[in-house]
Amino acid sequence: MADVMAESEADVAVVGGGPSGLHAALVLARGGLSVVLLDESDTLGGQYYKRRAEQLTAAFGDFRPRGTELIRQVRAAGVDCRTGTLVWGAEDAGRTLFTSDVHTGALGRMSTRATLAATGAYERSLPFPGWTLPGVVTPGFALHLATMDRVPVGSRVVLAGTGPFLLPVACALLEVGVRIEALVELNHPYRPSASVVGGALRQPARLAEAARYLLTLARHGVRVEQGARVLAAYGDTQVTAVDIAGADGSVRRVETDALCVGFGFRPSTELPRLLGCRTQADPTGTEQLPVVDGDGATSVDGLYVAGDCAGIAGVHAAGVRGQLAAHAILRRLAPEPAPMRVAGLRRRARALNRFAALADRLYPLPAMADIPDDTQVCRCEGVSAGQIRQAAATGWNDLHGTKAATRAGMGPCQGRECGHIVAALAGRGEAESFAARMPVRPLPMTATVEGQEVP
Amino acid sequence: MTQPDVVVIGAGILGASTAFHLAERGYRVVVLERGAPNREGSGTTAGNLHIQAIHTRRPGQEVPVDSARLLPLQRRASDHWSQIEERLDTDVELRRGGGFMVAETAAQEEELREKHEWERRAGIPTEVLTGDEARKQLPLLSDRVRAASWCPLDGYANPLLITPAYLAAARRLGAELHAFTPVTGIRRVGDDYKVLSGDRSWTAPVVVNTAGPWITEISALAGIHISMSPVAIQMHVTVRVPPVMHHLVQHIGEGMSVKQVSAGNLLIGGGWPAAELDMAGRSTISVPSMAGNLAQAGRILPFLGDLRLLRMWAGPLAATPDEMPVIGEVPGHRGFFVAGGTYAFTLAPVWGDTLGRQIAGEPPADPVDDLGPGRLLYDATAPVSP
Repeated sequence: MADVMAESEADVAVVGGGPSGLHAALVLARGGLSVVLLDESDTLGGQYYKRRAEQLTAAFGDFRPRGTELIRQVRAAGVDCRTGTLVWGAEDAGRTLFTSDVHTGALGRMSTRATLAATGAYERSLPFPGWTLPGVVTPGFALHLATMDRVPVGSRVVLAGTGPFLLPVACALLEVGVRIEALVELNHPYRPSASVVGGALRQPARLAEAARYLLTLARHGVRVEQGARVLAAYGDTQVTAVDIAGADGSVRRVETDALCVGFGFRPSTELPRLLGCRTQADPTGTEQLPVVDGDGATSVDGLYVAGDCAGIAGVHAAGVRGQLAAHAILRRLAPEPAPMRVAGLRRRARALNRFAALADRLYPLPAMADIPDDTQVCRCEGVSAGQIRQAAATGWNDLHGTKAATRAGMGPCQGRECGHIVAALAGRGEAESFAARMPVRPLPMTATVEGQEVP
Repeated sequence: MTQPDVVVIGAGILGASTAFHLAERGYRVVVLERGAPNREGSGTTAGNLHIQAIHTRRPGQEVPVDSARLLPLQRRASDHWSQIEERLDTDVELRRGGGFMVAETAAQEEELREKHEWERRAGIPTEVLTGDEARKQLPLLSDRVRAASWCPLDGYANPLLITPAYLAAARRLGAELHAFTPVTGIRRVGDDYKVLSGDRSWTAPVVVNTAGPWITEISALAGIHISMSPVAIQMHVTVRVPPVMHHLVQHIGEGMSVKQVSAGNLLIGGGWPAAELDMAGRSTISVPSMAGNLAQAGRILPFLGDLRLLRMWAGPLAATPDEMPVIGEVPGHRGFFVAGGTYAFTLAPVWGDTLGRQIAGEPPADPVDDLGPGRLLYDATAPVSP
């Protein structure tokens, strides 16, 4: 065992090198603690401050230079940045983390005095007939292609789903020459009721951002169709058409070569749930969120969460939450904590949380009950909504039993993609989700097998 | 049905098999399950059908199994499993691809030969192969395999399918299943037992306690004190790969079992201890056990090193203090039966059949008197020794 895993230690491990983890690591290192920042991908930045490849940066310029500067500061502050390092397990309230080198499979065990999970979020996909066709992708994937590689996801694109994220994606697609055939928003967020507008007006910067996107779209003649949704995608080897139901109930067929569809984001909470922290249902009622205090401390002593992992609130909240959690850890661990003013950060966090709550009200999810029986829900194992409903209807299966009976959630994504949908279709009323288990990602076995003891 | 002939407590594989065998005999059966059926040890086990002698020890296991004693029962189990899909009229991914038990040292090879002799006497076909002969059959075996015993009857059934299949068949024969119905009391009423779950109750002359790790707890409700030594063990499963191996591979040294299941995943186990047995929730896996089990499996089957580990889980094993199964009527408590203990998965059809015969007053197909619960009874009023 000891020879299998390389041992290391640090005062604090920050898991996730996105905006939240970067801000936290910076505060922690400047506060005098030894900090290890771990990220599964080969570059820091997470999704928002994603790095362009060198040649592309040379050709098209730096992507979000604020991220470049933040990463530079983090490195300059002496943070031990371990990219390409997957945290696949944890125990002992997060004071032991198990890691794997994503390239070599080499295993590591890290001992810490506190751990901050800043593991971000996934895009939320919801099944509909045809959603597994090639050419049906998430908005985030289309954005990645457009911003990192300057590659259009298709030439005639339909963008659909719900959430404020659809707007920047649409603008980025236009920039790389995509023709947007339709921009379909399930809800009516852009002609909201007076009460909602009142809440939004307290966030002028966020409103200006949305207005800027809407203006760009208008300039390109792209109209946001509100109250509309994609019913189905068609094609033999690739999506070629989609049916769109308008707000008035009319259905029209649109030809397309790429359908980007997403329903906001879901927190990536495996690590805190694995460590047994107390959770509560998120505003959508489909996810279990770690219960945290104002600074991100969980019910597990020494374990903190920040960023979207603590509830979807976007990049600005991520930075603020990361700093707040870092200050809380400093108060706990730093030998001589300098007096710090966190009141302003806390005020900012509360305001951003209110804005996130507003977004939750503006962009509610569609009912899972609408998913047709013959639509595949678990694409790894090929399990349909009907099969899941049927297993649940026996009355003796809980969520785990439904998984066992159907294999839904047993594939290589470990239920990350479909778990919330299976829970909604099969749950027995109480909020349930698939248990978080080690390894939180499929783990290369090279090292465990090579590190064998000989009898 | 509030006055059935038999109340079965626990809807794991033993309760399900017993319910089926009793229903098939025409008994009116009610099965009570505290949570979801097949949720605990029966649904988390490896699904191995052990027909060659069980001679490996779980890492950390102190008392060895009396392997030779169990062989006639395994021989019987083999026959039951051969007919099971037909009998239950369903697919349980049954596979009888045969199994190797490998040895790496001269001492282990000697154990293989000793075991082979017992198997021969019990009428179980096995042969001891040299390492090269074994590798000829299964080239994935490493050069470290010095010898291996081969049994064509070893196999696998999907643990997620067999218990539900038994329950479905029992229900077709009129049995009732009440999930999420924890037993809260058992009272003697005349010659009957009144089994309570909150304000609901069922009264029957016969109770079968197949509650696995909770056998002690359920028996105590009836004033019966049975010692069990439940532990939690863990399993490891890789991502799916195309079919490469249709055998069960075990190690005669420390616990190891590897096979590829119908879906394509490789399942690696062998009874390595989990970090903690949690009777109230899910037990936590142990990373040192993972490392130990995978290193050992990779030493015998090096191709595993190219795969990815997809999941791990831990589940309870209802072991007895002497590591032998327990089955039969509790002495002094007419109509109160218990079945449990190790290797319950392989032996489940035999135990269901045995209980069916015992409850009907017939002798079992193979003698099991020495496996009765009398040996596990203790005096709950005696002071606990340190």
